[in-house]
Amino acid sequence: MNLKLLVWRQKGPQAPGRMVEYPAPDVSPDMSFLEMLDVVNEGLIRKGEDPIAFDSDCREGICGMCSLVVNGVPHGPDRAATVCQLHMRRFHDGETIVVEPWRAAAFPVVKDLIVDRSAFDRIVAAGGYNTVKAGGAPDGNSILIPKDQAEQAMDAAQCIGCGACVAACKNASAALFVSAKVQHLASVPQGQPERYRRVRAMIAQLDREGFGSCSNEGECEAVCPKQIPIANIAAMNRDYVRAMMPGPLALALGGITEAFEDD
Amino acid sequence: MKLRIEAFLSSTGTKVVIALTGLALYAFLFVHLAGNMMFFAGQDKFNAYSHYLISNPLIYPVEIGLALIFVLHLVRAVGNFHKNQRARPVPYHAQVPVRHTSRKSVASTTMIYTGVLILVFVGIHLFHFKFGPELHVNDAAGQPTDVKDLHGLMVTQFSNPLMVLFYVVSMLVVGTHLWHGSWSALQSLGAGNVASTPRLVSTARIVTLVLMAGFVLVPILIFAFYRGAGGTP
Repeated sequence: MNLKLLVWRQKGPQAPGRMVEYPAPDVSPDMSFLEMLDVVNEGLIRKGEDPIAFDSDCREGICGMCSLVVNGVPHGPDRAATVCQLHMRRFHDGETIVVEPWRAAAFPVVKDLIVDRSAFDRIVAAGGYNTVKAGGAPDGNSILIPKDQAEQAMDAAQCIGCGACVAACKNASAALFVSAKVQHLASVPQGQPERYRRVRAMIAQLDREGFGSCSNEGECEAVCPKQIPIANIAAMNRDYVRAMMPGPLALALGGITEAFEDD
Repeated sequence: MKLRIEAFLSSTGTKVVIALTGLALYAFLFVHLAGNMMFFAGQDKFNAYSHYLISNPLIYPVEIGLALIFVLHLVRAVGNFHKNQRARPVPYHAQVPVRHTSRKSVASTTMIYTGVLILVFVGIHLFHFKFGPELHVNDAAGQPTDVKDLHGLMVTQFSNPLMVLFYVVSMLVVGTHLWHGSWSALQSLGAGNVASTPRLVSTARIVTLVLMAGFVLVPILIFAFYRGAGGTP
């Protein structure tokens, strides 16, 4: 396959960036997208040019490090997959592929396609944990958790913090990420003591980082490599209302939203 | 628990305020439509109903409350829109809708624009029927009374095909706003889970369709069956 790449190049956080075209000749359809970029970079290095900087780590879809917007979709055209799991057979010969970084004020570009996602770390540090003395490992089944709650917690805990939700959202909102982190702890008994303090602290930090607000479109859910549903955002909002509103309002809203609950 | 002001200023709190005011306006539309349907009860009954409504002293606090809700919805939504724009200062070279499970639609991407159009429409609409030209019901001696002939005004207005077209198009704009707004408000307030959200979305959309069908039917039915009747069909 012979392809053309249109890639965002930016020397540093303050430098202006621009789209630059590169040929990608002799690409094997069996290559992953990142392997293709590696090959293009080897060519650039041989020519004495600066290789395209991009993030990657595990290259098997579990670490959440890779972060490319391919042809206008975060992680590219495949569903429930990170961009490292995208293969070149998804493209056709002669195609021009547009490659961009996550775009959000809260994710400043470090270089080229690498963005700084430490905003997510600061949100988790604001409350996405349990304040407990860890001690030794507890005995198995010492805390009984109903199966459906355990499943719900595990589904939310699948979030790998890649930030595709922010990249896909027209408002660059991090609501899906934060809701996954909130819900994973709110679904199990261990998360209850700090449940409402946590949602309040994490949303306060979310706002300090400069993310947008949620328009409930669900682009985030559609690009999420772990398919985290936006129902988590509703659950987070529910907890936020209970945490923040005066008693009667929280009771009324809590009652109304409870009526739409299935479980 | 004491009220925390950040509850209404944070990103989530802002959406809660927009959702609550939006749902209040949505509920008002049902009352409004019920009033519209009184038109078909006949001229006397409809005029008596409208006279009872506007001569009631409670109408002023209700109108002021409604206006405040409208303004609050608008101010918070515009502020939110600007904040969201700042969250992505550098736009994508190419961004395409993801589709798959996404509910992104023309409606969801144009909320701020349909919202502004609705503001313009409400101004024109109030001029047509509230602050504009008035018709009065005559008494037995042929003298005008205090009672406004709203029935006659509606027939006069909707005998004009351009006016009917304007209202039908305006209702399409309102309907587009509510197509996304109705269920989005419920989600913002925390309703739904993995299983019930799809049902919530379809229910909100069906209710919106019924509501808008009602509003569209009124001018069309008046044009079709009462046109040119000069208020006395």
